[in-house]
Amino acid sequence: VRSLDEQDHYEVLEVSRNARSVEIERAYQGMRSAYAEDSLAIYSVFDGSDTSAISERIELAHRVLSDAETRASYDRSLGHYPEEAEPTVAATAVNHSTRELPERDPASPPFDDFEQNSDEESGEFDGKRLRRVRMRRGVEIDDIAEITKVSATYLRYIEEESFKDLPAEVYVRGFVTAYARTVGLDPERVVPTYMGRFRVAQGAKRKGFLLGGP
Amino acid sequence: MVKVDRATQNDTAGGSNKVGAQADANARIISFGGGKGGVGKTFLAANVAVALAQLGHRVLAADTDLEGANLHTCLGLPSPPVSLADFVAQRQEDLGKLALDTPVENLRVIAGTHANLGSPQPSHSRQVRLMRTLRRQPVDFVLLDLGAGSHTSVLDYFLMADDALVVVQPEPTSVENAYTFLRAAFYRRMRLAMLGHGVRKLITEAMDHRNERGIRTPIDLLREVEALDPAEGARFVATMRDFRPRIVVNGVRTAEDIKLGFAICSVCRKYFGIEADYLGYVNHDEAARRSVAARKPVVDFRANSDAAVYLQRIAHKLVQSTTADGSTRTGGVRR
Repeated sequence: VRSLDEQDHYEVLEVSRNARSVEIERAYQGMRSAYAEDSLAIYSVFDGSDTSAISERIELAHRVLSDAETRASYDRSLGHYPEEAEPTVAATAVNHSTRELPERDPASPPFDDFEQNSDEESGEFDGKRLRRVRMRRGVEIDDIAEITKVSATYLRYIEEESFKDLPAEVYVRGFVTAYARTVGLDPERVVPTYMGRFRVAQGAKRKGFLLGGP
Repeated sequence: MVKVDRATQNDTAGGSNKVGAQADANARIISFGGGKGGVGKTFLAANVAVALAQLGHRVLAADTDLEGANLHTCLGLPSPPVSLADFVAQRQEDLGKLALDTPVENLRVIAGTHANLGSPQPSHSRQVRLMRTLRRQPVDFVLLDLGAGSHTSVLDYFLMADDALVVVQPEPTSVENAYTFLRAAFYRRMRLAMLGHGVRKLITEAMDHRNERGIRTPIDLLREVEALDPAEGARFVATMRDFRPRIVVNGVRTAEDIKLGFAICSVCRKYFGIEADYLGYVNHDEAARRSVAARKPVVDFRANSDAAVYLQRIAHKLVQSTTADGSTRTGGVRR
């Protein structure tokens, strides 16, 4: 058990010594938000001087470990020699041109390790399931709205399956495609089942109209 | 499940059956604590109990909150004539006679009603006897719904369990009380594990925030203990390693709220020097509110709601960690 003063940079960021650079980046982002001044998680435990000391250590650890050269020299000072070479950065980089999240966002919190039995693998995608996946991947509705330019209200209707409040099918198809892509799901898996539900609901509505209703 | 007739001699808050340790007798005991009232301890205990029973496990849910009992209500039972209070007052030694059937197959409940409000808490020895008796019940899981606050009897139920859950909501009052609860549990656990009078006295001093030695954190305390007595220091470290609370965030509304669990685990590591597990989260769900109003567990009443899905996930993880080796019990926060 080591206090902050005694911890090495890996321990400060809570990553293994063999962590890849994407994992270091992810851990750094998590740590920054956990120890930010207004963070809920530190409330009543750490005071201002504690958090600034922790934040300084986090920044220093990140500076050293995010640069391949300084990291290698730091590793040597620890007597640590990594087992294998780092995979190329290009293979894991976020696609900034479209600002969409990749299939597995390396900078998001470690939800994939956290929830082994995720409900993303197969079966029908309904609104609730979309919301669960979005939450699990650390994406807010407003993030999707900003990236896709689809209004947050429509995105909420999609999750709530408030089909009567959504526009025509052709638009909804586009919205769901954009939503799926943004949270890192394959639209070809999501759109057919979701739109199937939409059509069934629309069909029921039309049938009610033709029958004249009460 | 593999059933082993294990010894029960360690059912004290200072014994080896403490937070995070493997079960040492028949039934695995899971406690739902968290310090603050109204964060969803009872709701979680009731629903995880139902979810475990639906998975085919034999479950006994017991309400230890004798001053604010309502676990039976969450499970759809009217106020019953017998309760845990009868065991506490030594009117009934056979817990099996206090356990009531519920509408859910495989699930029985011991209510916490009709306590003597003049003296509702059991003595420590009575509490130890209760835990031993619970462990010997012919079930796979015993779920304990704990009361609010950090009273020693609440802490001891928490510390004697095999899985000690801390339920927290994403709001400052809840987070503050959860840390107060964890701090109180931690110091009590450490104090009971130490053998020497001097070290115990040191821990008592450290529990006072304004102690003269300037001990601010559990890690500061460890350094003082090591300086005083290296053997006790080693025992302190070993006890710290066994102290592994499991965090559940209830009432999640945003993706940001979910991250609170990871951040709390990091604070546990940096402040207490302990490894906490992030067991799971449950969303703020209208279906959950309606289920409580209807006095039915949401996992049964609205089985396809998000809340039900999240609660079932927690039940699955508890089962996984029971059958797996202790070292695999991670909440995703160990990297």
